[in-house]
Amino acid sequence: MADLQIAGLMKQFGGFTAVNDVNITVHDGEFVFLLGPSGCGKTTTLRMIAGLEMPTSGRIEIAGRNVTFLRPRHRNIGMVFQDYGLYRHMTVFGNIAYPLEVRGLDKRAIADKVGAVAKTMQITDALQKKPDQLSAGQLQRVAIARMLVRDADVFLMDEPMSHLDAQLRGQMRAELRHIQKTVGVTTIFVTHDQLEAMTMADRIIVMKDGRMLQFATPREIFERPATEFVASFVGEPQMNILDCTLRRGDGAMLADCGPFAVTLDAGWVRANGLAKRDGQKLRLGIRPEHVSVGRDAGETHPVATELYSFEPTGAENLYVLRSGSVQVTTRTSTTETAHLGKTEGTRLAMRFDPNWIYLFDPDDGRTIAYAAASRPDAAEDAA
Amino acid sequence: MATIDTTITSPDAPPVQRNGWVYAVIIAVCVVNFLPYLWVVMTGFMDGAAAASRAPQWIFTPTLDAFRYLIFEKGIMSNFMNSLIVALCSTFFSVTIGMFCAYALARYDFIGRDDVSFWVLTNRMMPPVAVLIPIFVIFQTLKLLDTLPGLILLYTAMQLPFVVWMLTGYFRDIPRRYEESAMVDGDTWFQAFRKVTLPLMMPSITATAIFVMILSWNEFAFATFLTSTNAKTMPPAIMAYSIGADIEWNVLGAAVVLITAPLILFVLVMQRQLISGLSQGVVKK
Ligand SMILES: Nc1ncnc2c1ncn2[C@@H]1O[C@H](COP(=O)(O)OP(=O)(O)OP(=O)(O)O)[C@@H](O)[C@H]1O
Ligand SMILES: [Mg+2]
Repeated sequence: MADLQIAGLMKQFGGFTAVNDVNITVHDGEFVFLLGPSGCGKTTTLRMIAGLEMPTSGRIEIAGRNVTFLRPRHRNIGMVFQDYGLYRHMTVFGNIAYPLEVRGLDKRAIADKVGAVAKTMQITDALQKKPDQLSAGQLQRVAIARMLVRDADVFLMDEPMSHLDAQLRGQMRAELRHIQKTVGVTTIFVTHDQLEAMTMADRIIVMKDGRMLQFATPREIFERPATEFVASFVGEPQMNILDCTLRRGDGAMLADCGPFAVTLDAGWVRANGLAKRDGQKLRLGIRPEHVSVGRDAGETHPVATELYSFEPTGAENLYVLRSGSVQVTTRTSTTETAHLGKTEGTRLAMRFDPNWIYLFDPDDGRTIAYAAASRPDAAEDAA
Repeated sequence: MATIDTTITSPDAPPVQRNGWVYAVIIAVCVVNFLPYLWVVMTGFMDGAAAASRAPQWIFTPTLDAFRYLIFEKGIMSNFMNSLIVALCSTFFSVTIGMFCAYALARYDFIGRDDVSFWVLTNRMMPPVAVLIPIFVIFQTLKLLDTLPGLILLYTAMQLPFVVWMLTGYFRDIPRRYEESAMVDGDTWFQAFRKVTLPLMMPSITATAIFVMILSWNEFAFATFLTSTNAKTMPPAIMAYSIGADIEWNVLGAAVVLITAPLILFVLVMQRQLISGLSQGVVKK
């Protein structure tokens, strides 16, 4: 068990920079997620922590020990690979016991430890089978058991659940989170599934094109995304992002989205100094759950729209609305919108909650103004 | 566009596969392949007159004359031993060395890697006769003529490209994950290679070894030129003993039995391993 510090980590493959300037401090026992789209350098970062890839520059410390260029076997790390990395010529028992045998434990101790881990992961029945004979869910458990059996300082997991079906994934999420908290070993988990990260993480590192965009708690990532990319990457359905121009209307600042204009909250405009951006082209973001839908355009729902598509998901209804060329997805509870039309082309109206509007810089994507209702977490992010 | 005849409806039962003709083809191929061999083997058990007669005789009294002649008068068993030693040693060395070359080519990215693997292959493109004389001279200079180490060295070198080329592909098919996983678990590179990669490679290595073994066992051109008495292997020996002023067919037949029997036995024995190895090695993820 240990903390993990990474400073100025960079990795180049030839002329291509796969990981660029990653700085993180992970506390002892923390469950940290590396989240990002495919090819953003998550695996590469993880492999550098494991010692399977040597950094081009930077420094990695585990428990205060510099391990930057150490070989994997000197690092005391447990790892689950994307495709399990199980040995198919050995039984499940052999697979789980392997890291212990390498360390020269005696037979009894090995059998005890493997038995205990197998019980935790509920794979006792499968111990004498070969990996080929197991289902994906069981393989997953074996791979995790193989990692858990070691008294490692840090656990690394590379998209361990990507082969599982949705239902199993849901189960494993809760289970893994529980196990991680019980075992208490610092864990880095790589995923491109924002739901996985949001539900399980203590903190999330969002990466894109080899760079870290944000390192914060799931709630902060969700409510106070550092960039437009982070904002649209987390949350399902995605945040609506619209092009807009700020202008002064009668008595208030407006974000003019083309077919309609959104009146901005005066206090928020003042707090974020938006008055001096009068006339600038910006990007306006609002999450689907903060757009409400009504039958008629008017005081409560000022923007007239037309239903583009209707997607019921059970407890919630997704209305995709169109006003001119602007498309907005909304998410509302089924009971609330029971009385509204559901056929494409129906005339409806919508309203943006002024407390949950974000503004992003169209050039570098940075967040100019966080939503008024969002709260920052207590500053615990050392990076 | 082709129109679909919509009047056709499903038959009552699924169509029965009629693959009888496949067996006919297989049997034809087997007969074509096997008959000549059978004939040669039969010739080996004939006496000189029966073997040399113009009209083929299917019924004859078998004799071991030809075998007796080869084994006791000509001492072909010493050639047999030479062949065995040369084939086993050159297979062992070429597969062992080739394995590491192949591993390096498959796993490590170094400048000129693709050139190396291409160059390795070009070694095989040259017809052996082109280098017969130079090699003879080299052997003469190094005093390797008519010695077993000389032949072993030469065959090892000859088979290496093939081994490297085959095994590189097989190594590439084994995910690097396996070794990486072992290394994270605390193995050195070599331990990971020995305990994880090698067991997975065993079927492929066996298959390659069988192939190399057969090639070495049957090699004729170099063996004829580079050996005379001490290190003569089976193929040139057969040539020498059965083909003189005229061809002694029964001796040739007996020699063919002697040279192919071990190979057939060897492959039959290995085949079991090979098949069990292959079926165990199937990747399911
Ligand atoms: N050995 C390598 N040589 C050259 N380029 C590489 C190598 N490994 C990775 N890359 C490149 O580095 C980038 C990041 O790769 P990485 O595997 O870290 O992505 P990832 O975030 O894990 O993606 P995914 O979610 O698809 O697994 C990719 O563009 C990839 O092509
Ligand atoms: Mg990856």
